[in-house]
Amino acid sequence: MTQPRDNEDLEALIRQFQGSDLEELHIKAAGLELFLARDPQARAPWDGGAHGEATAAPTPQAAPQSATSTPSPAPAPANAPGAAPVPEGFAVIRAPYLGTFYRAPKPGEPIFCDIGDTVEPGADLCLVEVMKLFTAVRAEAKGVVRHIYAKDGDMVSEGQPLFALEPVD
Amino acid sequence: MALTRLFIANRGEIALRIARAAQALGIETVLGVSDADRDSAAARAVTRTVVLGPSPAAQSYLDPELVVHAAKETGCDGLHPGYGFLSERAILPRLCAAHGIAFVGPDAETIEALGDKIQARAMARAANVPLVPGSDSIASAADAVRVAEEIGYPVLLKASAGGGGRGMVIAHTRTEVEAGFTRASAEAESAFGDGTLFMECFVPRARHVEVQLMGDGTGKVLHFGERDCSVQRRYQKLVEEAPSAAMPEALRRQLHASAVALASSVNYRGAATAEFLYDVDRQEIYFIEVNARIQVEHPVSEAVTGADLVQWQLRIAGGETLTIDQSDIAVTGHAIECRINAENWQRGFIPSPGTITRWAPPEAAHIRLDTHMRAGATIPPYYDSMIGKLIVTGDTRAQAIERLEAALASFSVEGVPTTIGLHQQITAHPDFKANTIHTRWLEQALLPALDTAKG
Repeated sequence: MTQPRDNEDLEALIRQFQGSDLEELHIKAAGLELFLARDPQARAPWDGGAHGEATAAPTPQAAPQSATSTPSPAPAPANAPGAAPVPEGFAVIRAPYLGTFYRAPKPGEPIFCDIGDTVEPGADLCLVEVMKLFTAVRAEAKGVVRHIYAKDGDMVSEGQPLFALEPVD
Repeated sequence: MALTRLFIANRGEIALRIARAAQALGIETVLGVSDADRDSAAARAVTRTVVLGPSPAAQSYLDPELVVHAAKETGCDGLHPGYGFLSERAILPRLCAAHGIAFVGPDAETIEALGDKIQARAMARAANVPLVPGSDSIASAADAVRVAEEIGYPVLLKASAGGGGRGMVIAHTRTEVEAGFTRASAEAESAFGDGTLFMECFVPRARHVEVQLMGDGTGKVLHFGERDCSVQRRYQKLVEEAPSAAMPEALRRQLHASAVALASSVNYRGAATAEFLYDVDRQEIYFIEVNARIQVEHPVSEAVTGADLVQWQLRIAGGETLTIDQSDIAVTGHAIECRINAENWQRGFIPSPGTITRWAPPEAAHIRLDTHMRAGATIPPYYDSMIGKLIVTGDTRAQAIERLEAALASFSVEGVPTTIGLHQQITAHPDFKANTIHTRWLEQALLPALDTAKG
């Protein structure tokens, strides 16, 4: 599980990596798998995709939490499809904090965007909600939605990729 | 007939609070929990728990059919809705009545009438309760401009079905009223499915005061004094105190009498809070609304009156009448409550779910802590961020503040950020100590000053 305090640990780890001589770092512990690399072409051990940057992803083996069969009150972050590549030059839109990912403003309403849509700078792409605080996640620049990494209603963790946008001039 | 087994349709600290009140009266308790709350403090305190459904509230705590079905299946003869969730949804008492379960609260018709702000205003007017100068429903932007010019700028456009500040627009000019009407109406339509608006004169320097009421359904209504809840952010209360030390005695008597008259006029049954704006400049009070439930901040009223309001709710729901009179209720001393939220207040108040790794609250005879937390407890991301209410009493307001400052300073929580640090800033501030604050003081004065200090 990825709780906010773990993210701080992660950030500290990434800083240490950046300050070290290491070329790659692969850690698998406590339900979290982490792959850091200096080479932008480096491949994470769990997928064939070329990650364009040092990336922390939840372990892909973690099964999504079954709502009725587990007594654990802690949310399992949605299983971000680590297999989905982020092609070079695409803008990755990430979750601002841990929360529930919503693709529409309200249940039953049209979704904010879908794959193939061209979105304008500042366009709402989704909502992330935690404890009644809703935040609209917006496109920074004009682009075409090429990937959507989470499903409506998924619990996403802070910094988790939500969308990849192909820039449009 | 006295309740024998109570279904608690809520979670968190209030579920625990209700369980303890029921146990003190010898009532068995059944708690409906979501998947995330199976191991909560309330779940450990009750006689029995039943899992309502998955963690998201819409599939558990917010499903009235599911909740009442669970109450029925577990043989409960009473249901306490707590606050929030379904507590002011008329369907809940309606379903309870259909299944022979006593709802701890007023009947469905009363909830509906009070929940509609225009209806509630009409009820208040009929009971001679002072209203903020304003209108009934407004039909159009042109109508809005006409009313605004009648009552004088600035004005507040509000959603009839609204709450929590949504669908509310402040307008200072004719242009702002026209634009505001369209925007507020659309917002109200989308948030509440009802775009009806009304208008009120906007009071720039207002305090929020409210009266704790309890009625037994026969027309007898008692008040347990007033509370002052003027420290707010985005219409959410952060600090509440009793009594309202800023209010002169004559106005206080008028406040209590108005609140009691309103609740008596509808033969109110159960706990209610009548909320008012206190216009400090004009020394007037204006009715805002009645909340037909027990409120988060009820402990400050309990602290200064010695009453157990939740026990009274349960006794009245069990068919008892109020066996005490107004003369039996005296307000002694001063109490202040801080709502402690798991939020990073220094980073935009981001709610911060997680696990409590250290929980070391202060303890003393003058301290009450209503909480469901302990070391190792998790705060799920699905519900609100309140993790506890720290209530401190003193003989005077000054003594209560002094004790509160000491209590906050020694309250140690690790694992998630909390608003304890913000409460320290509030309680240490000269404006708070001098009691010259108003409902927008936190947002207009304190928070900007803290940001500047932070650089």
